[in-house]
Amino acid sequence: MGAKIIFYLIAGLMILFSILSVSTTRVIRAAVYLLFVMILMAGFYFFVGYNFLAGVQLMVYSGGIAVLIVIAVLLVHNIDHRMERIPVVEYLWKGGVLLAGAILTILTINQFPFQRIAGTEDVSVSRIGTKLLSLGDGGYVLPFEVISILLLAVMVAAIIIAKGEVYKNEEK
Amino acid sequence: MYDFTGMIQGINNWLHSVMPDMAATVVGWVLIGAIYLAIFAVLGLVLVLAERKIAAFFQLRLGPNRIGPWGIFQTVADAIKLLLKEPVGTKRADSFLYNLAPYFVIIGALMSISVLPFAKGLQAFDIDIGLFFMLAMSSIGVMGILLGGWASNNKYALLGAMRSGAQMISYELSVGLSLLTVILMAGSLQMSEIVEAQRDYWFIFKGHIPAVIAFMIFTIAGTAETNRTPFDLTEAESELGAGFHTEYSGLKFAFFFLSEFVNMFIISAIAATVFLGGWMPLHFGGLEGFNHVMDYIPPVIWFLGKVAFMIFLLMWFRWTFPRLRIDQLMKLEWKYLLPLNLMNILLMAFVVLMGWYLGS
Amino acid sequence: MGAEAILVFFIAGIVLVGGGALASKLLSPKSTNKDKWEPYESGMKTIGPTWVQFKVGYFLIAILFLIFDVETIFLVPWAVVMKKVGLVGFVEIVIFIVILGLGLLYAYKKGAFKWE
Repeated sequence: MGAKIIFYLIAGLMILFSILSVSTTRVIRAAVYLLFVMILMAGFYFFVGYNFLAGVQLMVYSGGIAVLIVIAVLLVHNIDHRMERIPVVEYLWKGGVLLAGAILTILTINQFPFQRIAGTEDVSVSRIGTKLLSLGDGGYVLPFEVISILLLAVMVAAIIIAKGEVYKNEEK
Repeated sequence: MYDFTGMIQGINNWLHSVMPDMAATVVGWVLIGAIYLAIFAVLGLVLVLAERKIAAFFQLRLGPNRIGPWGIFQTVADAIKLLLKEPVGTKRADSFLYNLAPYFVIIGALMSISVLPFAKGLQAFDIDIGLFFMLAMSSIGVMGILLGGWASNNKYALLGAMRSGAQMISYELSVGLSLLTVILMAGSLQMSEIVEAQRDYWFIFKGHIPAVIAFMIFTIAGTAETNRTPFDLTEAESELGAGFHTEYSGLKFAFFFLSEFVNMFIISAIAATVFLGGWMPLHFGGLEGFNHVMDYIPPVIWFLGKVAFMIFLLMWFRWTFPRLRIDQLMKLEWKYLLPLNLMNILLMAFVVLMGWYLGS
Repeated sequence: MGAEAILVFFIAGIVLVGGGALASKLLSPKSTNKDKWEPYESGMKTIGPTWVQFKVGYFLIAILFLIFDVETIFLVPWAVVMKKVGLVGFVEIVIFIVILGLGLLYAYKKGAFKWE
């Protein structure tokens, strides 16, 4: 009973902040509401016992992506500028379409008989690590190494974009 | 020898015996919350006083000496004064974000303290990802500073917040990576297990060369992460007023100030716990007699003594080194500390692989 | 304490800051002087907009931070099990770190860490 209350409380707050995030007229407040949603998501993971994932959520999304968004907002000129208010009619029909989509999704998901698979309850860090490094069946060593290449690609791309190298060459 | 698990369990059982289960649980929570808030406040008062006294010591002054014997009630008086000050902000500031910012820094610091083991069994929250949890929580504090500086509608505050954000996220990497060397040796993230793993040698002795390098990197990066001199260019008084909290006054300013000092405690406590054995007395594997004598000193004293040593070290830095420039700061992190850290992790992994560490 | 500690400490933090703000509101004096609410700039009137455009260097630092943050996340489970896994884990992590080291070298060569 208590668990259900907490679940619906977190879920309700997440929905509330998501709506606030898209409906506010100030860019930085939208970023802050998004941050709240991310922190609540981490709360969800703590709630169901996925502690490591919750830590990742806090560290990468709340501590990394949110800071990145705020810094990106500060890079933009004329931050004081408010976005246009959207007319209520548009809210209504767009909200209606979204609601219909959500109901359809929930109905579809409920059609599928989900079953608990034995041996998946252990979500400790050491189990994640063992799986990540194992070469045998069900091991994730190839994705693990590919991630480093992906990160390398991201780094190169970020530097090219931020330093504007390609752009400069074209001007010459 | 000193195990508090039984004592805590006893208090819990007593609570459950005198009132219904539900009420006992809630009372237990309220008690823990109140105790940690008290710890939080006392830490702030003691550390600010210690800072001023140590500054005076380094500058051959007396320091605060009027209120109470040797001025020990000076910070209490300061706190009361701050409570009675008029809260002045700025017009046209985003007041919602302006008021929200202190919550981030205080809650982040409070959550970090909750996982610290003060002694065996004397720990509020022994989560299985303890060390990682602390890292995650310290990354939340950055948002508070960025928002506070942004919402202030003040150029000094905004500049200070941006510098602070860039500095804190950069040095957070070094803090995290230097702690990895310890996780390698401990094989766990749980704080109580990390301390238990140091029963034969503290990690700084157990891991010898790579552990000492990691300890030094952690101390430097920790100083930078808490925005203390020589890395205090986020609130360089001579250029930026007071940095990101220029426009905060009264108790709201006090929250930023408090969290700054508590963060210093947290960094010192992490260093003490993972490198210097936490509450574990000075043990050397094989010297049973020596270990036994050391066990007589209570673990809380060991822990607080080590933390006090680390805090003194950080204060010593503050009154010794001149401030860095921002380009030097970025250079230090990205060109020296980060590559050194990555190589150090490989070295430590090699040491662990070959079993070249002391003890088991 | 279990995971409910997070909730307890969250509420404790809110009580501390909220209670403090409330107490300060009740106890502190109030003045109607408008000049007090001007931004502090060492006594001068502030000129121009506050929210100026920042240099792209901050953004680059934030992105590089994010990349190494993700890397740290992948290193943590590795570090926990390294002792058990042994040689395989060591070889895998050497490859992982060397590839990222190349990225760091590239960033260094391109002058990403130069702060002009």
